[in-house]
Amino acid sequence: MLGNLKGMLMTFLTSLRAPVTAQYPDARMPVEQRRMGFPMLLWDDNIVEPYCTGCMVCVRECPTQCMSATMKDNPKHAEGVSHRRKIIDVFEINIGRCILCGICVDVCNFDAIEMSYETELSTRTRNGRRMMLGELLERGSNWQEQSGWMPTSQRNQEAEE
Amino acid sequence: MTIAEFGLLNLWVSGLLLVLSVVVLSLIYLERKVLGRLQMRLGPMRVGPYGTLQTIADAIKLITKEDIQPEWADKRVYWVAPVLVFIPAFMVWIAIPFSSRVVVQDLDLGLFYVMAFLVLSIVGLVMAGWGSANKYAVIGGLRAAGQLVSYEIPVIMVVAGIAIFTQSLNLSYIVDQQSSVPFIIVLPLGLFLFFVAGLAELGRTPFDIYEAESEVVGGPFVEYSGAHWAVFFLAEYVSTFAIAALTALLFLGGWGWSASIQDWVGHPVGSEAIAFFEMFIKTYLVVLVIFWIRGTFPRFRIDQLMALGWKVMVPLSFVFVLLVAFATFYAWPWWVLSITNVLVLGIMGWYYYKRMHQDPAPFSIVLHSARKVRDAR
Repeated sequence: MLGNLKGMLMTFLTSLRAPVTAQYPDARMPVEQRRMGFPMLLWDDNIVEPYCTGCMVCVRECPTQCMSATMKDNPKHAEGVSHRRKIIDVFEINIGRCILCGICVDVCNFDAIEMSYETELSTRTRNGRRMMLGELLERGSNWQEQSGWMPTSQRNQEAEE
Repeated sequence: MTIAEFGLLNLWVSGLLLVLSVVVLSLIYLERKVLGRLQMRLGPMRVGPYGTLQTIADAIKLITKEDIQPEWADKRVYWVAPVLVFIPAFMVWIAIPFSSRVVVQDLDLGLFYVMAFLVLSIVGLVMAGWGSANKYAVIGGLRAAGQLVSYEIPVIMVVAGIAIFTQSLNLSYIVDQQSSVPFIIVLPLGLFLFFVAGLAELGRTPFDIYEAESEVVGGPFVEYSGAHWAVFFLAEYVSTFAIAALTALLFLGGWGWSASIQDWVGHPVGSEAIAFFEMFIKTYLVVLVIFWIRGTFPRFRIDQLMALGWKVMVPLSFVFVLLVAFATFYAWPWWVLSITNVLVLGIMGWYYYKRMHQDPAPFSIVLHSARKVRDAR
């Protein structure tokens, strides 16, 4: 009896709290730092080139085989500006196949790919959304600005200080 | 009966049907909103402003849906069952007054009539379960029979107690008797028993074992679709509203609390409107409590349900009737009844609280050596 009354009071107090859901297309919940959308390529502002060297690790590890990549010799390395000998030439992600598992991010050795905040990318055709290098980099650098991302080395340095 | 009287009665009945349909639409909307708020959701928001037209959209969808009939179903039983569930739920409303004049027929045996018709829906539920030729439906129908029959006893005993106390079965007269002190203060035990057993009669959430979606996938309604399923749904909400209205009439003083305002208005139509409004608000408040309970408690198991029914509700209802009978026979003042009621309720609550919170009996296994057993012989 007493426990029942306690339960009733509990639900009543819960009903006074603000709803935790939103009317999705009209109103959206605020973007959380931990939000995990589709993977995007990152842009190295210091050298003005992508981080990606086209090493193909993510392509091989991807469980759905949604990516493909080719590399080329980095012209900036020949000039002595960049330390990357190879650089990405063509990169493509088939967004319709990606399952947002994050394995590509885990295996990447160059901090070149991260899960961005981009989610609303669905289309009505099966392979309707194939993202090429330019768009991936653009969305990736947007995400870098939004989330305040920094490379691992810099992060470790700041942690030590 | 003259033709004019017959026409008037017809008008009343069709008006009642219309009003009840609108009330059911509002109740479904209200339930979804209240449950949404209890779970920190918004509830329906899309169709119409704040989702107010959602139930109408659902109704249109249900009516236009295909009406499926299982091949093995007992055809006649299958089609008659929804009608047999709906008609009693609707006929109950003929005797329920919303003010001293807003009632189809103010019967002298109104309470008896209402109780008699509330039980009848069992037949329809069992028929629906049997006619569907589906094992879940049969289980659901039998559960409905068991549940409704066992919880009928407390409801009837409480109603008998009220009849003894007021010396009447006329609902308007019972409301008039509460003009000084409503029965929620005089007979709190009766309110508790009536409300809980009423919830079980309706098959609403803590007691919804016969249509338990997660166990018997809708019980007797498994095979029904479209308009026939909608009729079952309509009947369920109509009887929910009926139990809420009865609670307001029998225990919350009906339309009696605004008597001074009614006298002050003086005009017959105005005072009736105020009485109706008061009764309406009380009924909806009781309905809100029913939805609140639905949002709070999980479903009983069938053995728990039967244990609660036969070990708690039935004995308590007999105690209640005895108390009221003694009080009426020896003409005790009303506060004696209210004190004894609260005492019985408190002792019952304390006893079950203790029983719930005591440690269960330690479980032990004794191992017997086969040789020792043989030697002992």
